[in-house]
Amino acid sequence: MRSGSRRTPDRPAPPRADSARTVARARLRERVVHGMFLLPALAYLLLFFGYPVVKNVVMSFQQYTAATFYTGSAPFVGLRNYAKILSSDLFGPALLTTVLFTVASLLGQFVPGLALALFFHRKFPLGGLLRSLLLLPWLLPLVVSGTTWRWMLDTDSGVVNRALRDLHLLSSGVPWLTGTSQALVSVILVNIWVGIPFNTALLYGGLQDIPAHLHEAAKLDGAGPLTTFRHVTWPLLRPVAGVVLLLGVVYTVKVFDIILVVTGGGPAGATETLATRSYELSFEQFEFGRGAAMGNVLVLVSLAFALVHLRANRRALNA
Amino acid sequence: MTSAARPSARRATILSAALALTLAATGCGGTGSASVGREVTTITALDYYTDAREHAQWSERLSACGKAAGVTVEHRSIPGASLVPTVLRQASSRTLPDLLMLDNPDLQQIAQTGALTPLDRYGIDSGGYAEGILSAGTYQGKVYGLAPTVSTVALFYNKDMLAEAGVAVPKTWDDLKKAASELTRPGRYGMAVDANPTFEGTWQFLPFLWSNGGDEKRLDTPQAAQALQLWVDLVKSGSMSKSVLNWTQADVHDQFVAGRTAMMVNGPWRISALNKLNKTEKLHWGVAPLPVRRPGQTLVTPLGGEVWTVPQNSSEARQAKAARVLACLNSSSQMLALARQYYTVPSRSTTAARYAQEVPSMAAFVQSVERSRARTGRLGVKWPKAATGIYTAVQAALTGEQTPEEALRHAQRIATDS
Amino acid sequence: MKRTRGWPSTIAGIVLLGLMLFPVYWMVNASLQPAGNVLRAGWFPLHPDFSGYTTALRDQGGSLVTSLVVAAGSVVLSLALAAPAAYALARLPLRGTGVVVFGILVTQMVPGIVVANALYGAYNDLGLLNSRLGLILADSTAGVPFAIIVLRAFMRSIPGEIIEAARMDGAGRLRVFRSVVLPLSVNGLITAGLFVFLFAWSDFLFALTLNTTDAVRPVTVGLYQYIGAHTNQWNALMATAVLASLPASALLVVAQRHITAGATGGAVK
Repeated sequence: MRSGSRRTPDRPAPPRADSARTVARARLRERVVHGMFLLPALAYLLLFFGYPVVKNVVMSFQQYTAATFYTGSAPFVGLRNYAKILSSDLFGPALLTTVLFTVASLLGQFVPGLALALFFHRKFPLGGLLRSLLLLPWLLPLVVSGTTWRWMLDTDSGVVNRALRDLHLLSSGVPWLTGTSQALVSVILVNIWVGIPFNTALLYGGLQDIPAHLHEAAKLDGAGPLTTFRHVTWPLLRPVAGVVLLLGVVYTVKVFDIILVVTGGGPAGATETLATRSYELSFEQFEFGRGAAMGNVLVLVSLAFALVHLRANRRALNA
Repeated sequence: MTSAARPSARRATILSAALALTLAATGCGGTGSASVGREVTTITALDYYTDAREHAQWSERLSACGKAAGVTVEHRSIPGASLVPTVLRQASSRTLPDLLMLDNPDLQQIAQTGALTPLDRYGIDSGGYAEGILSAGTYQGKVYGLAPTVSTVALFYNKDMLAEAGVAVPKTWDDLKKAASELTRPGRYGMAVDANPTFEGTWQFLPFLWSNGGDEKRLDTPQAAQALQLWVDLVKSGSMSKSVLNWTQADVHDQFVAGRTAMMVNGPWRISALNKLNKTEKLHWGVAPLPVRRPGQTLVTPLGGEVWTVPQNSSEARQAKAARVLACLNSSSQMLALARQYYTVPSRSTTAARYAQEVPSMAAFVQSVERSRARTGRLGVKWPKAATGIYTAVQAALTGEQTPEEALRHAQRIATDS
Repeated sequence: MKRTRGWPSTIAGIVLLGLMLFPVYWMVNASLQPAGNVLRAGWFPLHPDFSGYTTALRDQGGSLVTSLVVAAGSVVLSLALAAPAAYALARLPLRGTGVVVFGILVTQMVPGIVVANALYGAYNDLGLLNSRLGLILADSTAGVPFAIIVLRAFMRSIPGEIIEAARMDGAGRLRVFRSVVLPLSVNGLITAGLFVFLFAWSDFLFALTLNTTDAVRPVTVGLYQYIGAHTNQWNALMATAVLASLPASALLVVAQRHITAGATGGAVK
């Protein structure tokens, strides 16, 4: 292909009939080379996701129970699994919780995440070190950080309530994990805590790629920090910001381990989401068909979120 | 450029070959990797004893039993919550271990798949076992799993706190409510249970449900509502923390050890840790049978314990060896050794009686276990639905979302939902 | 260039970080309590008890190496696969780019357990169970799509004129990719690599599913030595988590240093 691209206008043109063929061949070769960039990754993704996805879809149309694993027999039941989970009186609340959890987590992660990225973008002593340490929570297994949060949020002995009492902000303890309305707030807070470093790191990387001279120019034009952000920083950060939000949606919708560790879906189902329901259907009830159906509904919700987001923000993925 | 193109082309060939290979492999499913040797020298064993000390003790026990059977035992432990998913995965790819431990309420579920072998095939005698544990190990009339020792829950109490408050060990629910309220102080509750939204929460509620005549087959009964009301009263009166909604049995134990509760529901597997604290922290504790609603009621507790099974396998020789190890684990001497080590109760009644004489402090547990019921005893493979119904009801009632009666009506719908 | 602020910012940074990392501090505090004393922990470990650490050091050395090797392997594999793909999707005139990108996004919506279950059967037939390679390949199921999406966003912000200029100079696609696009994407590569590392580091599901022995056991699985069916040693558990995070956090600090270097050295031309 290098030969193709090396052809310069000042070369004598080859005979006409031949030229069409050469051009076609060159274009084909070009396309093959382009494809080669993409092929290894696509082959990998197809290998590692193709079979699981297809299997999960098939499973959701079957009466797939514990016995199926050994016998392999799983009668086809059409849409019954979907009908069953969608008509359950647990579905509505779980869907609502999922949406609340996702939207609140996203806002709670992105805004402080961006603020922190902007903060660290300015150079100051030890800034790099502090920024790196921000990622520390990601090195801790969720069983461990989740358990720590459970202790910290305990109504009577938890350090959070102790601090609030010591500061005389409260006289009695907040039932962080045992109040039906507080528990959702708590798992959202924990999820935000996990998510902020992710947002900060990616947005910071994006900020660093904005050529510094653009900021200089804006400043020379007398633009204040707010104007600079709105007219220079934000437009240039949008591709990265869009991706951060998009991935944030996808990852948040399927969070279940944080919830299972911190509240177990309780109290009284107050922190039950589609993801935790899917897990329980499969591994507590052994209703793998319904668990798979719930998993697929989850993917659809995720898709819906992603499409809404892409609609609103076409530039993020496809300018 | 031809030279540049060639490696890419080669890469493409390799990749597509790998693709084809994997697709073929995933498509055709497993044939199993059974080494069809004549002489079986090693067998594999899987359980959930991940704790380093417990794991080492079991490794030792398994290898001793293996030695007697002429095999070495490769022993692996995985986290409890992952055991059943792992077993199902292994069942579908025919890679089950030769010897498998299961928590007793899971046995029927796994036996139903056909992945386990009935133990009478190997001439293993299941006579003399307490009825509860035998029913947990039985599926459709055949015994698939045997537990060397069993356990159940009881009431643990802090002797010093009871003495200081002048409270006797409660025998009835009214006693319990009174004692719990008198034992409550700033920074300390009278009572603690595990009421979390998992099967562990269900397990702790069962003795109250069953002893009062409640039944998992019919959850919306006055008897069940009375039992649930007891827990609601304890929380409402402030004698029990609302955090029970979120506590595991391990948390309950931690609360007790930290002196934040005077009494708790827990199992004998905590005794060795408590004994250690008795020495170092001067924690004086006692254990008693759980209270019943009115004097004269019989205490019925759920049966705990892990059963050992021999999964289906391509090699009968391996199965035979595994069965010999299983028989060894269930011998009277192993039962006694295990019981002493973990403060559990031997599951053969005669051995248990001998043990009760030998270790009088365990007599209360030996008695309770005699009358213990297996969770899957009545409902079999339908148990998980009822168990979900029960913890859902407990959560709804303790948060005040529903009255006990409403909560149990809902639980009954969950339990019978198909 | 950026103005250099002074120490007030540093102090503000420390305060912010202190708030964010308080749970981490609380873990350290818990790890220094004697066994069974976690609930009585005060604000500071006044009488630190190091028994958790001695236990952790004795048990977890091998797991730590496994975790590091697997996570590093996953970074290499993911970036090697993702960088060319991201370039193609960001910069090359391919048909159906949008669909492909969306498909890649969809892979991230698939629950991990579904992938793990399917891989177990395949790995069993291919003999990939109980191998570091198998684990690296599996952990990259989170890393590859993520890195493609992130790198693509970063590569789109490379000024088109730079690439055009290189093409005019007669460089082929491969050359442009290697000597123009990659160096200009250092920030993206490091940022993506960082998270691929963290994904693999914190993986528990694949490590548990795709191993049938304890031969390849990362820290996340090793932690369960302290959570038994009947016991828990919180101090050793927390100590292990703290100890295990030390070498990895050193790596994070070093890698992050290069983010700034990449920007000043590359983007401004």
